[in-house]
Amino acid sequence: MQLSITLACRHAWRRPAQSIFFIIGVGLGVAMIVAIDLANGAANRAFSLSTEAVAGKTTHRIVGGPSGLAEGIYVALRQQLGYRLSAPIVEGYVLAEELDMQPMRLLGVDSFAESPFRNYLDGDNTGFADDNGFTAFMVQSNTVLFSAALANRYNLNAGDFIHIQVGSRRQTLQIVSTLKSDGKNEQRGLDGLLITDIGTAQEILGKVGRLDRIDLIIPEGTQGEITLKHITNILPPGARIEQPPDSTVEEMTAAFRLNLTALSMLALLVGIFLIYNTVVFSVVQRRSILGSLRALGVTRNEIFSIIWVEAGLLGVIGTILGLGLGYLLGRGAVQMVTTSINDLFFVVTVRQIDFPPLTILKGAISGIAAALTAAAIPAYEATNVRPAAALQRSNIEERTRTALNWVSGVGVGIVLLGIVLLIPEWHLSITFVGIFAIIIGISLLTPALTLGLMRILSGLARVLGKSFSPLIRLAIRDITRSLSRTSVAIAALMVAVSVIVGVGLMISSFRLTIERWLTDLLQADIFISAPSLISDQTTAPLAPGVVEKLATFPGIAQIATSRLIDVSTSDLGVIQLAAVSMDIAGEKRHYKTAVGDHATTWGALEAGGLIINEPMSNRFKLGVGDEVALFTDRGEQRFPIVAVAYDFDVQPGALIGDAIYRTFWDDTDLSSAALFVEIGVDVDAKIDELRAAFAGETELVIRSSSGLREHSLAIFDRSFSITVALQMLAMLVAFIGILSALVSLQLERRREIGTLRAVGMTRRQLWKLTLMETGLMGTTAGIIAMPTGFILALILIYIINLRSFGWTLQMYLQPIYFLQAFIVALTAALLAGVYPAWRVGGMQPADALREE
Amino acid sequence: MRLDRLSKSYSEAGQNRIVLNQVNQEFYEGEFVCLLGKSGSGKSTLLNLISGIDAPSSGHVFIQEGNREIDLTRLNEHQRTLFRRRHIGIIFQFFNLIPTLTVLENVILPLELTGRSESRREGRNRAEVLLDQVGLSERLNTYPDKLSGGEQQRVAIARALVHNPLMLLADEPTGNLDTEIGATVLSLLLEMIRGTGKMLLMATHAPEIANHADRVLHITDGMLVNDTV
Repeated sequence: MQLSITLACRHAWRRPAQSIFFIIGVGLGVAMIVAIDLANGAANRAFSLSTEAVAGKTTHRIVGGPSGLAEGIYVALRQQLGYRLSAPIVEGYVLAEELDMQPMRLLGVDSFAESPFRNYLDGDNTGFADDNGFTAFMVQSNTVLFSAALANRYNLNAGDFIHIQVGSRRQTLQIVSTLKSDGKNEQRGLDGLLITDIGTAQEILGKVGRLDRIDLIIPEGTQGEITLKHITNILPPGARIEQPPDSTVEEMTAAFRLNLTALSMLALLVGIFLIYNTVVFSVVQRRSILGSLRALGVTRNEIFSIIWVEAGLLGVIGTILGLGLGYLLGRGAVQMVTTSINDLFFVVTVRQIDFPPLTILKGAISGIAAALTAAAIPAYEATNVRPAAALQRSNIEERTRTALNWVSGVGVGIVLLGIVLLIPEWHLSITFVGIFAIIIGISLLTPALTLGLMRILSGLARVLGKSFSPLIRLAIRDITRSLSRTSVAIAALMVAVSVIVGVGLMISSFRLTIERWLTDLLQADIFISAPSLISDQTTAPLAPGVVEKLATFPGIAQIATSRLIDVSTSDLGVIQLAAVSMDIAGEKRHYKTAVGDHATTWGALEAGGLIINEPMSNRFKLGVGDEVALFTDRGEQRFPIVAVAYDFDVQPGALIGDAIYRTFWDDTDLSSAALFVEIGVDVDAKIDELRAAFAGETELVIRSSSGLREHSLAIFDRSFSITVALQMLAMLVAFIGILSALVSLQLERRREIGTLRAVGMTRRQLWKLTLMETGLMGTTAGIIAMPTGFILALILIYIINLRSFGWTLQMYLQPIYFLQAFIVALTAALLAGVYPAWRVGGMQPADALREE
Repeated sequence: MRLDRLSKSYSEAGQNRIVLNQVNQEFYEGEFVCLLGKSGSGKSTLLNLISGIDAPSSGHVFIQEGNREIDLTRLNEHQRTLFRRRHIGIIFQFFNLIPTLTVLENVILPLELTGRSESRREGRNRAEVLLDQVGLSERLNTYPDKLSGGEQQRVAIARALVHNPLMLLADEPTGNLDTEIGATVLSLLLEMIRGTGKMLLMATHAPEIANHADRVLHITDGMLVNDTV
């Protein structure tokens, strides 16, 4: 073992370039996995810590419909039943001007009822940084508490004022104290909270006289069951008792996170090619040394361990660096993932990024396993070096050729296995295994495909004869005669480029599908909503009287209204319900299935049916004729599904007729209005007029249909920014793969290059030769990547997106993506060739010839 | 060819090591000159300076091309490469064939590098003739690693002659072959250049080869000493 370590370290030290490439391959792969894991974890962790901090010791809670609960229920609970382990809560999201306009969770509490629930609001003042904090909080109005850490970060102190905004309301609050907590997690949970007196919160959030919920602590066992029964008995029909949800957030974003994780693993896959190539080169270079060692009595196992120990050591270094880099990249990724989650799912603010031991473990295992796995085959190959006989490079290539059919056969087998894994609707992670299998299978076919392409080029060179430069023939031969190394570099580049083609085609098809869908759906001329913290949702209600005022404007032909709320169900979790007054899309709304034609379907909706979106239909296997049970203010009610509409929301949602909604829910609010202007009215001028009319009165978001479409597409583009970043990083690893392959090939061919120079090859010709080689490698990678990318796009569009989010997307083939990918492959390869070409050009033939 | 005060020194670990020291020598058309010296005496360095592969520290290498005399040391690296491509053939101890090219392609290579379109057909014909002369007409499409050492060196001889050079520089051409094969290769080489007017300068440490030479030069302590046979 001592010998293995010594030899491994010496070789790694004497070949710094190869060692660095190896470390980069491992490091970047690990960094990607760690960064995405951190980003995925941080957003969810921040949300759950905040939820835990808010929940405290709550075991149950009383909840109502979208308008919450009447205060009277709390009064009845405490006075009628005398149940003291209850605390009323009003909450919502606000923006705090002094806190960088970040979304904060505003929690309105009754300080007299809080003690049993939340430690930091204990009446004995232990959680308060200021001695009189609790008293001041109880007696003064318009006061606020927040965490000491947050106060420090923004240099705020007790006595300072902060300004918060919610929709069009702006309120000034005075900080009476900051809150400290001994528990690190609780402290983190407090970071996203602003705590006010319940009356202040009701005023700020426009919920005067209403509560969002009543937290309860119910003892376990029979006593608890009896208590629950008593409480249930006094509740009105719309109120019910539930346990605080704990896994909803995890489930909601699971598919989103899995998609990102899969993409991050692609970088490691490309990194494995790079590692494999580096180890193959190091074995080939050391063939005579290995032969000598065998002659001196070193066993095959010891030879294997020399190579493996070296790979392990470099793998450990790469992993350590990768963990560090992953942490740094993770900070950027957290920002991107948080933005997407805020856009698509829920409001979350991440202020601190942990480095959980599990993430470190995942990164470490991935890095070291990748290094050892990639090194296993070349290490085994090294054991075949015969004692005292230097293994010729041609022997290795000979073996590669012999193994070619076998490797190709395995490749076809793995592709078929991948296809089989894609067919049944198993867990999404198995579908991703299927995709990886297809990519790896095609990678294994790369040597044969490269050989085939080079033969075609050779044939062309023969046919075209003298017009073909001898350099091209040399370049082709160099690639095919070093197939064991060149094909791996080509495969790495091919994988990265095929991901660019596949993901690029998927995103562009998705974008076009959405664009057309929005164009069809947004038939009204002007859309009006209240500002919302979740970019693509308009859950915040419009100020009272807005719609009535809109109706008074000249030139408005028709107003359609919508009320968007989250509704609980007993079996499907929370769904988004949109109560609509009319169908703004008309016949342009496309249904996957419906009870009849457009008019019949809409009639069925107005009669009490639901039109559910495709994600809801797919996720819960619901269709026309099924029923959905929703908790309403009149108790649980069942609604028949009358149609499944195409929709590209990430959450399950349904449309309901406005009249039906108002029958079952005590809610008078509206979320948005869509205006149809009279023929001849200038939409932009009308928007300016409306903005001027509402300015200073109420804050509204007023957009034209094209403006709303652009806004939606901007959110779409933002959601994919992290995908594009990951693609680029996979490409970087592939680029380094090609660079590493070329540098190593040239190290190996120093004497050959010296000979070429000696027989009259000029530096310029040598440059050309090197760039031709890389150009051919890039071309091959580009050619193989195009169909592979297309296959990837098909799988992403028709399988992954459907199973992840329940969307049916249309494939739009745009040749530009294939062309772009080809140019990317060629450019990356040519760029990777510049440094080796420069090195070769500067090589002194005398030195090169002197080397043995 | 005339060497005029040709010197070459290297800096090694801060020390200046003189390999060739003020070498003056003339070489003539058609003669076979044998350069004898121990390993590391500077034989290969001298051949590298004459071929323009390496540049001297000082001094000149004059080569008569037709009616004009060219000072190789005044040419830049690119010009030296082009000169070598046209006028010099080189044979190495380790054959140095390009493993990715067939026997025929290896031989044609110096001609193809000129990029002249007419040279390919002419070159092919000439290469086939030369390979026939060295007894490898049946192995045109074989790759070098399938050939024996003697066969590889015969290919290298054909490659060195294919562009009809003014002179041939051979660096231990039999050094990597056994005695019998070495002798065969040497006689083949001499057979192919005798009477063609080409000068052959061969570096070797084998004194028996010197028996075939018109002139023998000893290289000792960086100096060339004449030893007429």
